[in-house]
Amino acid sequence: MPVAASAIYFLNLRGDVLINRLYRDDVGGNMVDAFRMHIMQTKELGTCPVRQIGGCSFLYMRISNVYIVIVVSSNANVSCAFKFVVEAVALFKSYFGGTFDEDAIRNNFVLIYELLDEIMDFGYPQNLSPEILKLYITQEGVRSPFSSKPSDKPVPNATLQVTGAVGWRREGLVYKKNEVFLDIVESVNLLMSSKGSVLRCDVTGKILMKCFLSGMPDLKLGLNDKIGLEKEAQLKSRPSKSGKTIELDDVTFHQCVNLTRFNSEKTVSFVPPDGEFELMKYRITEGVNLPFRVLPTIKELGRTRMEINVKVKSVFGAKMFALGVVVKVPVPKQTAKTSFQTTSGKAKYNASIDSLVWKIRKFPGQTEATMSAEVELISTMGEKKLANRPPIQMEFQVPMFTASGLRVRFLKVWEKSGYNTVEWVRYITRAGSYEIRC
Amino acid sequence: MAPTAPSPAKSASPSQPSGKSEVSDLKQQLRQLAGSRAPDADDQRRDVFKRVISCMTAGIDVSAAFGEMVLCSATSDVVLKKMCYLYVGVHARAHPDLALLTINFLQRDCRDQDPTIRGLALRSLCSLRVPNLVEYLVTPLTTGLKDPSAYVRMVAAVGAAKLYHISATTCLDADLPAALKALMLSDPDAQVVANCLHSLLEIWTLEAANSEAAGREIETLYSKPVVFYLLNKIKEFSEWAQCHVLELASKFLPSDNNEIFDIMNLLEDRLQHANGAVVLATIKVFLHLTMSMTDVHQQVYERIKAPLLTLVGAGSPEQSYSVLCHLHLLVMRAPMLFSSDYKSFYCQFSDPSYVKKLKLEMLTAIANESNTYEIVTELCEYAGNVDVPIARESIRAVGKIALQQYDVNAIVDRLLQFLEMDKDYVTAETLVLVKDLLRKYPQWSHDCIAVVGNISSQNIQEPKGKAALIWMLGEYSQDMYDAPYVLENLVDNWDEEQSPEVRLHLLTAVMKCFFKRPPETQKALGATLAAGLADTHQDVHDRALFYYRLLQYDPAVAERVVNPPKQAVSVFADTQSSEIKDRIFDEFNSLSVVYQKPSYMFTDKEHRGTFEYSEDLANLTVGAEAPETVISAQRYQENDNDLLLSTSDKEDNGIRSSNGSYTSTYNAPSDLLSSQTPAETALINPGSSTYSTQTNFSLDDLLGLGVPDAPAPPPPPALALNSKPVLDPATFQKKWGQLALSFSQECSLSPQGAASLMNPQSLIRHMQSNYIQCIASGGQPPNYKFYFYGQKAGAAAFYLVECIVNTASAKAQLKIKAEDGTTAEAFSTLFQSVLSQFGHS
Repeated sequence: MPVAASAIYFLNLRGDVLINRLYRDDVGGNMVDAFRMHIMQTKELGTCPVRQIGGCSFLYMRISNVYIVIVVSSNANVSCAFKFVVEAVALFKSYFGGTFDEDAIRNNFVLIYELLDEIMDFGYPQNLSPEILKLYITQEGVRSPFSSKPSDKPVPNATLQVTGAVGWRREGLVYKKNEVFLDIVESVNLLMSSKGSVLRCDVTGKILMKCFLSGMPDLKLGLNDKIGLEKEAQLKSRPSKSGKTIELDDVTFHQCVNLTRFNSEKTVSFVPPDGEFELMKYRITEGVNLPFRVLPTIKELGRTRMEINVKVKSVFGAKMFALGVVVKVPVPKQTAKTSFQTTSGKAKYNASIDSLVWKIRKFPGQTEATMSAEVELISTMGEKKLANRPPIQMEFQVPMFTASGLRVRFLKVWEKSGYNTVEWVRYITRAGSYEIRC
Repeated sequence: MAPTAPSPAKSASPSQPSGKSEVSDLKQQLRQLAGSRAPDADDQRRDVFKRVISCMTAGIDVSAAFGEMVLCSATSDVVLKKMCYLYVGVHARAHPDLALLTINFLQRDCRDQDPTIRGLALRSLCSLRVPNLVEYLVTPLTTGLKDPSAYVRMVAAVGAAKLYHISATTCLDADLPAALKALMLSDPDAQVVANCLHSLLEIWTLEAANSEAAGREIETLYSKPVVFYLLNKIKEFSEWAQCHVLELASKFLPSDNNEIFDIMNLLEDRLQHANGAVVLATIKVFLHLTMSMTDVHQQVYERIKAPLLTLVGAGSPEQSYSVLCHLHLLVMRAPMLFSSDYKSFYCQFSDPSYVKKLKLEMLTAIANESNTYEIVTELCEYAGNVDVPIARESIRAVGKIALQQYDVNAIVDRLLQFLEMDKDYVTAETLVLVKDLLRKYPQWSHDCIAVVGNISSQNIQEPKGKAALIWMLGEYSQDMYDAPYVLENLVDNWDEEQSPEVRLHLLTAVMKCFFKRPPETQKALGATLAAGLADTHQDVHDRALFYYRLLQYDPAVAERVVNPPKQAVSVFADTQSSEIKDRIFDEFNSLSVVYQKPSYMFTDKEHRGTFEYSEDLANLTVGAEAPETVISAQRYQENDNDLLLSTSDKEDNGIRSSNGSYTSTYNAPSDLLSSQTPAETALINPGSSTYSTQTNFSLDDLLGLGVPDAPAPPPPPALALNSKPVLDPATFQKKWGQLALSFSQECSLSPQGAASLMNPQSLIRHMQSNYIQCIASGGQPPNYKFYFYGQKAGAAAFYLVECIVNTASAKAQLKIKAEDGTTAEAFSTLFQSVLSQFGHS
């Protein structure tokens, strides 16, 4: 049995039940108490997301201030269960509009019960796709008392749609203006040693799409990835154009993408769902362009003073700029006094995270900025110096830049009515975990 | 909607007055609304219903309002209906008579024109779980399965499984499984097919315990037509259903290599699916299908590498955790697999500690000549980590890598640097490691001793570290100038030493030191023995007394006992048997991998909660796997103990190990019973014997064996076997050790038999259908090893068989031991005939 969840609970941080839904009788009633007793109120909390108590396994996840707990009594499929929770939360979010937390649950608990009924039956996951569910579970959900007969069309239609062959798209959509928005969002992860060598660096990217297209359109997306280009050159028997090609380490696609065709022809072709969705995800480890270089120097002057000097260089194109750059430099707990000098942006000491936080709103390409800080420490007895400081962390986003170098070469739309479409493409690179040891 | 009246935060118990008055208030409001035809009545009802549901969620007993809720439920408002159904579903069982009231309107809704309503009503009807209402379920379910709307069929398909759980006979009498099967193979809608599959698997798996027909039904589910039919439709299924179908496919036994390649080609693109669960399920199929083809198996590992690495980094930490658990399992089987991708397992500062811990384990597992330097450098970074448990783990990881013999020289240097970091826990962990290293590489003693000698024992608080230091002081006292004086100091503070472990080590270390440097230690030894004799801890007292008497008897003997010449340890004992590891691998993509235990250890009722027992059982299974090797392993272990735990630990360990075996029998009454009188219990009360047989069965069941199997062909009349013999691994091992060999011969397998032995399970299944049970199996192609047993019908005598099969030569070597020597020959003939039939059926 892949999942066969016996029950699902939503608890707040104190352990109060916000929602509980029992799907099967094979677990006792006091599962929540067991969870509270053995996990929430112990040090074990957060040490492992899968625990066994008695004969039941608890798979739990914390999302903002809510614990979602799945209880199973069989040898369940863990990854399936966690994925289910993640998907369910995404579904709830799309219903409440953005946030998922204790308040949102309290305000929408009837809706959540309704959804829990639909997305899982007897412990088996059913349909979790928001597009489809929204057709027949609406927050209003009222059938007018005067038309108790099936007069309103979408409802019976919806149930047909629940399970159709193209489960992700409804037929008969009409838009006045046919538009497609493509967002290529990359997050770049870096781990750099204190000596300045790159220990680990990769990019995880995703292509987000927003489609407002009529009918049942067929889309084809071309990227500058190596395999795709080679295949294309091979098919058209002409040498591949020079220029940068990208080697994707691994790709995963939304269920709408025809994977057979991807494997044979290396093209991404699909019938898109309506509205917003994640078309594909990819990972790249070779040839990553790091947008920023960070050069820290930290000197300890005696027992009570430190001198911190951080230089940040932007290495992307001079016409581009980064937004929301934040550099967090960890300092010892016993920091008493700090003073700063920065060439741009503002710096301050944040005691709650024991870090100096340096913020630069707009950071042009091919420039550099420095921050020098003096830190005075309270002298303490016996406290030995930390052997390792936590790493410097950095946040940023660079629009119109991809750390991988990935570009969209074309996006073609075919529909039998032959309408014209407008395509919009955006790129953005964000910091994933961008860590520099010092 | 405004937050409802009593904050659910106060999880009030039913007896609390606040809850009670709330409920009676709600009851009253419901009563008023029941007959109301006011235009806004539905809105008001909704509000009240919401309050009822929120009370219910908070744990307040609202069952008192059942009647009123039912009265109000006659409405056309869908949301109201749903809330009411939810309420009824929770409380119906406590009020079966009142639940009857709801049947009427649920049945009516099952005939509604709107398929949503029909589906909803049917689902609620099946969720009532009231046994005496099952008669009302059959008709709606049968019609539901034929409903024109896929939504209703989908609900009905799961409903059948619900009905089975309430009343198995009703479900079977109504012939619902047959209808489900027909629907599964014909319905155009993928979700209906998937739900039929869920239900059928569940029904037949549970039913298999009492009927053989059910076992056959399971076989058909795993048969080629069904599996191929579902796989061909795989793209139509939802991602969750895909997981299920793939799980089914992983248990499929292909008849030839072409089928294997067909399936793999078909599923290749599933590795690109965005859902990690689908990817893992696909990987399971690939790995299991190619078990018998070593080359392809290796290629599969290469192919799955990239998707797995993506999964590690993608998604929530919980998802990474589950993926990392699987990676760890794979890496134990194929350590080379990720050796060049070690950087993917570097810890990020923001990783939660459970992810970090697994990453450390991965780094340890993949270390080899080429990457040790980088990995150890990285691990050393973590040793100063703020997160102390992780810092400890990383030091241990460095030690483990050192014990794997790669680049020991550099690692020892690093370890010695840790000692200079001057942090309590770092020093303590490092000392333990240095001790282990010295036991394996005595040649390093000079370098280590020089550093260790500088450590002041006062700075180490942790018993384990302190004990390690003391061990080294005793062991290398001839090389450490001030060892006797350090020990003397420690003895002076004997009373302040909290940990008995440290005191035990101190006793032994002083003894050792005495034999190496008598004049300097004599005084300390006297003080130690005196302190030890006066100690309140029994073990410490006993050991001191033992040393005292030993010295009195003959110091030369004492020296031989305490300070014998030692050999370096070559291999540290592996904690888990390969049998267990294979079992876990069979259950890839499930909780077993996370717990690192086969599922029977945590799902069977007997094992629940008593972890000690399960661990014991694990050890026993190890034993059962290869009786002779275990015996030699035990001998070996004793040798090891000499070296591993220092001599003085020997007697201690002896006690411990015998203790261990006591507890194993003590904790497990069933075990005790069957080991003492296995035959009698089986004989006297065949009914009760199912208790432990079920353990065996459920084991096999998890492997998809679908026991009991098709009825056996009539065995030769010469010997009839007990159809359900009971023998536990421990007893098997004991008997195997005691009995003399009755027969040892070689026989040949039919070529078909050898061919279908892609997977050892098929043979086990075959033997089982002939009442010969398998207790352990293992091996890699082409060599498999099995341990079987059988029992003469109506008698107590067991037959034990060791069977080594070589699929390449189609030969099997048999060793048969029999408790009843007179029938041994008959059994041997029977066994061989059964074996030779394998592959023909």
